Amino acid sequence: MTNHYIDMKNSDCILIMGSNAAENHPIAFKWILRAKDRGAKIIHVDPRYTRTSARCDYHVPLRSGTDIAFLGGMIKHIIDNNMIQEEYVKYYTNASQIVNPDYSFKDGLFSGYDAEKRSYKKDTWTTMKDAAGIPIRDYTLQDPQCVYQMLKKHYERYTLDKVSSITGVSKEDLLQVYNEYGATGAKDKAGTECYALGWTHHTVGSQNIRAMSIIQLLLGNMGVCGGGINALRGEPNVQGSTDHAILYNILPGYLKMPSGPVDTLAKYIEKYTSKSTDPQSVNWYQNYPKYTVSFLKAMWGDKATAENEFGYSWLPKLDDGKHHSILHTQDAMYAGKIKGFFAYGSNVAVSSPNSTKVRRGLEKLKWMVNVNIFDNETASFWKAPGVDSNAIDTEVFLLPAAASMEKEGSQSNSGRLVQWRYKAANPPGDAWADGDITMKIMDTLRELYKKEGGAFPEQILNLKWDYRDALGKFDALKVSKQINGHYTQDLTITDPVTGAKEENKKSETVPTFAKLMADGSTSSGNWLMSGSFDQKGLNKMAKRGKEDPTGLGLFAEWAYAWPLNRRIIYNRASCDLEGKPYNPKMKLLEWTGEKWVGDVPDGPAPPLANKEKGKLPFIMKADGVGSLFGPGMVEGPFPEHYEPLEGPLSKNLMSGQLLNPAVKVFKSDLDKVANADSKYPYVCTTYSCTEHWCSGFTRWQPWLLEMMPEAYLEISDKLAASLGIKNGDQIKVASIRGEVKCVAMVTKRLVPFQIDGKTVHEVGMPFNYGWRFPEGASDASANYLTPSIGCANTFCPEYKAFMVNVSKA
Amino acid sequence: MKIGMIKATGPFERVVHWCVALSCLLLCFTGMGMMYHSLNGLGTMVGGMANLKTIHNFGGIFFAISLVFTIGMWWKEAGLFSFPEDWQWIIAGGGYLWHVENMPEVGKYNPGQKMFFLVVALFGAIMVASGLIIWFPFSFAVSLVRMMYVLHALGFVIIFAFFFVHLYLVTIGAPGSAPAMFTGWVTKAWVKKQHPKWLKEMEEDGTLVVYGEEKCSKKGRC
Amino acid sequence: MKKELVKLIDLSRCTACRGCQVACKQWNELPAKRTKNFGSYQNPPDLQWNTWTLIRFQEHEKKNGKVNWLFRKDGCMHCTDAACIKVCPTGALYHTEFGSVSMHADKCIGCKACITACPFSVPKYNADTNKIAKCDLCYTRLQVNQPPACVLSCPTGALQIGAKDAMIKKAYARAEELGGDANVYGDKFVDGTHVVYILPERADVYEHLPVDPKVPLEIIIWKDVLKPAGLLAAGAVVAGCFLHYITHGPKTPDDETTCEGGNKS
Repeated sequence: MTNHYIDMKNSDCILIMGSNAAENHPIAFKWILRAKDRGAKIIHVDPRYTRTSARCDYHVPLRSGTDIAFLGGMIKHIIDNNMIQEEYVKYYTNASQIVNPDYSFKDGLFSGYDAEKRSYKKDTWTTMKDAAGIPIRDYTLQDPQCVYQMLKKHYERYTLDKVSSITGVSKEDLLQVYNEYGATGAKDKAGTECYALGWTHHTVGSQNIRAMSIIQLLLGNMGVCGGGINALRGEPNVQGSTDHAILYNILPGYLKMPSGPVDTLAKYIEKYTSKSTDPQSVNWYQNYPKYTVSFLKAMWGDKATAENEFGYSWLPKLDDGKHHSILHTQDAMYAGKIKGFFAYGSNVAVSSPNSTKVRRGLEKLKWMVNVNIFDNETASFWKAPGVDSNAIDTEVFLLPAAASMEKEGSQSNSGRLVQWRYKAANPPGDAWADGDITMKIMDTLRELYKKEGGAFPEQILNLKWDYRDALGKFDALKVSKQINGHYTQDLTITDPVTGAKEENKKSETVPTFAKLMADGSTSSGNWLMSGSFDQKGLNKMAKRGKEDPTGLGLFAEWAYAWPLNRRIIYNRASCDLEGKPYNPKMKLLEWTGEKWVGDVPDGPAPPLANKEKGKLPFIMKADGVGSLFGPGMVEGPFPEHYEPLEGPLSKNLMSGQLLNPAVKVFKSDLDKVANADSKYPYVCTTYSCTEHWCSGFTRWQPWLLEMMPEAYLEISDKLAASLGIKNGDQIKVASIRGEVKCVAMVTKRLVPFQIDGKTVHEVGMPFNYGWRFPEGASDASANYLTPSIGCANTFCPEYKAFMVNVSKA
Repeated sequence: MKIGMIKATGPFERVVHWCVALSCLLLCFTGMGMMYHSLNGLGTMVGGMANLKTIHNFGGIFFAISLVFTIGMWWKEAGLFSFPEDWQWIIAGGGYLWHVENMPEVGKYNPGQKMFFLVVALFGAIMVASGLIIWFPFSFAVSLVRMMYVLHALGFVIIFAFFFVHLYLVTIGAPGSAPAMFTGWVTKAWVKKQHPKWLKEMEEDGTLVVYGEEKCSKKGRC
Repeated sequence: MKKELVKLIDLSRCTACRGCQVACKQWNELPAKRTKNFGSYQNPPDLQWNTWTLIRFQEHEKKNGKVNWLFRKDGCMHCTDAACIKVCPTGALYHTEFGSVSMHADKCIGCKACITACPFSVPKYNADTNKIAKCDLCYTRLQVNQPPACVLSCPTGALQIGAKDAMIKKAYARAEELGGDANVYGDKFVDGTHVVYILPERADVYEHLPVDPKVPLEIIIWKDVLKPAGLLAAGAVVAGCFLHYITHGPKTPDDETTCEGGNKS
């Protein structure tokens, strides 16, 4: 989230699209309803009418996987009707920059496409700079090559007729949403967007969010109270999981994972440190070396020295161009290329797409470790219904783990708020906290490396590894302090502006990432979290102050939000060039002439009107402005509508490219596809219900199981009637990859779509179920149906749009 | 037993009568223990209200069986009115309330007794039926069960009131009646007073059994 | 002093997350039962002895053809004129100082009269214990100034509890704010319930919600007419008999016919 949960109450219009907020983020809805009380419009755009829709002003049904068409239409509508926040667009976005004349877009393809590799060479996706390296701008936004005009041109094709025909949304509904949301382009109005897995679970997942970012920038909704792009994270600590890099391609604090060719620290820093010569740009990522070296110091402590590049060579490196997402991992597993597998707190047999492929892959492992609070379909895959246990050689270890309330630690919520949480009870039986399990495994490994040497023992043996408390148990506080960082030596810091000297002692915690150094004098496991302790070691995450002097719900004394307790990031964009808030009723920040007051500002520099010292608000971007033209994505600088891997259409109504051209397509014999196939005529989507956790360990909780006892398929009354299915019937749902049996939930809440002049039905099914529990449950995991394909940028699987057939069981 | 007394009832008749009477009383009092909070103490006497309810429920079954015998035994004699004399008796209030010159002669059961029998038979059956429905309410529609509560209470009010009339008449209201319930033998004078027509009928039919006379039962004991 | 409380249920804020349903079971230590999906989000299908509060799901097609998904938290309404208390033979059900209807479980004899009497079909019978069970508005929590478990669990503020007058006032203000068919349900019948709804739709739209609930006429006849009548009638009869005895006298057999030995001849 760029903003935070409580801030939703400040919004004037909340578009919930790609999320079922009421069901999957019940607490978020508290604040959404507060906004509604203030008169805000709450709009739900979703294939299904859900519990969220029931509480919104209205619900607009949209065919799964067509969000970009819908949002592209909105971009066009906002530009055509001049609903933009003009000053914001001119000065705080790259609208005025001039696009490289070699950049082009033709029939669904951007310039630089390599069809063989299914990827783009991005060298033409740039904007022009003058000799001094400063972007060339046309503040009138009239230059036909300027980003704004290029944007307008790109979305010219997204007419109401075409968007309606693709999405199935009526033109009236489109106009209503576009006008109501577009109205937040007024300077004193803010609109926010809540998304979740409904946007990320697509082949174009990242571009869904990009498209909305463009809208938010056009309407001046970024960095303001009640605005922003808000990812409602599905798990209480999933924000923490990405912040601390439980992904193959990043290091903690979103530093890049190095690849093979980047074999020295110097090359790494050269490659990833952001450069800008624009005096108005803060270009925060110029500090990249400081964060990198501090991270290496945190990894290897005193063993990391300037002489050995702070242990850079000990970091594992990705093979160039190789990916290791769960999709790639499972593909490799199925191909028999993986020996051992840690399913740590996960249940891939239920949660990963194309369950048949996943489970066949597990059979090829030599060993698997599953760490969980209950047995699950993954740990017991070898005795699943229909599996011949004798034919499987995989050795499975199931390690009982402590549940979240049985261990101490920090927890990061979607609003980047990191709260300290204490242990409520001891774990039962032999269950251990994850930290203890990890320590035990690592201890054993270190012993083995010490004794036997091995191929590359340094990275293991040199690790700084002192995270135990007096009783020898994993100490979450010690780890948190290590993540925050400390001075590795006595250090005198001279303020570059005032010249004042500041003495810092060795081992004192670093109070802000602004003090991190690139010379090894500081250590920090994750620069974003630097500041979660003060210099005396006070844990700010445990703060519980309830004061809110602004009345905006910032609650600055409650826990700690990264970065630097900033509650709304890019908050300087909430003020005009003079530093006065665009919405005087919500003074998130204000420039007094000397300093900013309000939220923690994005840096102390004065607003843009100060020609000498003024800085642009988007400090994480090299050019200091929000990107309407965003070359960071793999499939193009402007989001473009492509159909999902499986859909009802054989042709993309928007271009000649049916599928996202940059998406990775897996080719195993189990990766079967049935697009526009009459045998699988219905669009299907999957989701989680309020009552259950993703892959369903909540099924062990009798109260939750009582409320949602078994798998079901939501099906419209019209489709059910035509198939002779009655409410509560047992039915069979089949895709080309697999089939499941479940209960039919016949409902008026689902309606058929009119797509390209034809009636298209959509059905939906929760993915929380499996055979392992409750006893006697059918093997109704929805992921038997889903395809192994994911977002071109993140490889987040496509769980939300594929094709099925439905029949009576 | 005094010589010359007349046999009014047989042992079977007396047993049935006692069964229905006692179970009725038991039901009245256990029922009242549940109907009136101030009488919850009756529950305490049997170890708690739950026991009281159990006694009431199973007492009801006993009552139902007794009632079947009662009705089977008496419906011909006490269930049918004979006109016009019964009607005259009723008009005359049975001679209980004011002085009546020419009372019609009463047979084995006077119309008052017949009415009490009919009330007991009818409301007894209603009590059994409504009681069973109240006992197992889930097998019936709620609206029906609710009506059963009304009927059950109404039946109680009527049976309970009639019971006191009955008690008064067989004790101090019409002395000499009680022995019919205990020993079965009543005085001839009482029969002559209360049921002169019956006496005549028995004499005419030769069914009159008089203690100490030849005409006793073949079992030899009169 | 009596401090009447009202639990206010604002259905316009309910997201049917069912936190209340679980919180209720947790605080009151009510077990779950194995259920089946019968084609609805609603489960268990009805209130049960182990389910004192239940979110009902109902698809309602509006006049304009748009579908509305209605949620209603069902449970004890805690009537002032409570039919269940009226019919309870043992005083197991009673009014607390907060106006709520609580229960002494040890006194319950499983007669099920309250089940029949309740206009909202709330009390449920547990065959294992031979007792009924229902929401007691978390009496043990109210006694120590804590909100009921359901209220505490509600994330959106659909549930709140407070002084009766304040809550009723709030309810009307909210209904007015919502406009349309929104209305307040609970204060106008059975002398006022201690659970009050703000219904976004007319009461007759909701399934299993009586539009004009009252203590059933049968129960009134039983408890307010026949119950005293039983004593009155018996008393009158006894008095009448006594009067008859002293005014008219017993009907005694004539002396001359009771001639001892008369039959000997």
